[in-house]
Amino acid sequence: MPPVRATTPAPPTVIQKPGLTEQEKQPAAPRADQAPAVPPPAPPVRVATLDLGSLEKRLRDTKAIGVFTKLSLKNEVDDLLEQFRDFHQSRDQTRLAKLRQAYDLLLLKVLSLLQDGDPGLARDVSSSREALWNILVDPDKFKNL
Amino acid sequence: MSWRTKVRAAIVSMPILMARPALAADDPAVLKDLTAVIALQGQPCGQVVTATKQGDNDYAVACKDGSRYRVFVNAEGRVVVQKQ
Repeated sequence: MPPVRATTPAPPTVIQKPGLTEQEKQPAAPRADQAPAVPPPAPPVRVATLDLGSLEKRLRDTKAIGVFTKLSLKNEVDDLLEQFRDFHQSRDQTRLAKLRQAYDLLLLKVLSLLQDGDPGLARDVSSSREALWNILVDPDKFKNL
Repeated sequence: MSWRTKVRAAIVSMPILMARPALAADDPAVLKDLTAVIALQGQPCGQVVTATKQGDNDYAVACKDGSRYRVFVNAEGRVVVQKQ
């Protein structure tokens, strides 16, 4: 019986560099059943933002800060709120930079007090920094505090 | 011990138990709290090493660097750190 010749064409010869792995030797063209080479989306990062009420409650409840320290922080928060009240009454935008400085300093104090004893709250305070600032500088939101 | 002796002992010990002399606050949490308050108010201290309770929310403290302060809550509810 004569030998049967193959009717299908031979696969194209691929010239490869020596030393490639099996995976690297695969043709570059994507297959139909493969998803396009887009990196998978990163898992969503939970960014908690606190409103002033819940921030106050969590600061009151935390055991990371002593009573004197809490009262002292409350005094500082009250002083800062008073400065914001003056700012909104005067509408003097030149005071905003100074207020931001005072706000950042106060938040830094809070974070340094919390970071060892209550890292969860410290993280939430840190991630709420801009949201809280936006409440303070917005006259309507500030009025409703 | 007779009933009368017991009553007498109770009467004698009452003033001793009720007296509230200045107490040294050895609780590390209190020392840490006072250290934090002094630092918050920007005063030099390092670390509070001894604290003597002088009244409700009123302490005389000595710091590691030798500074002495009175830390108390005033009538307006503000925490005051007063150098001694």
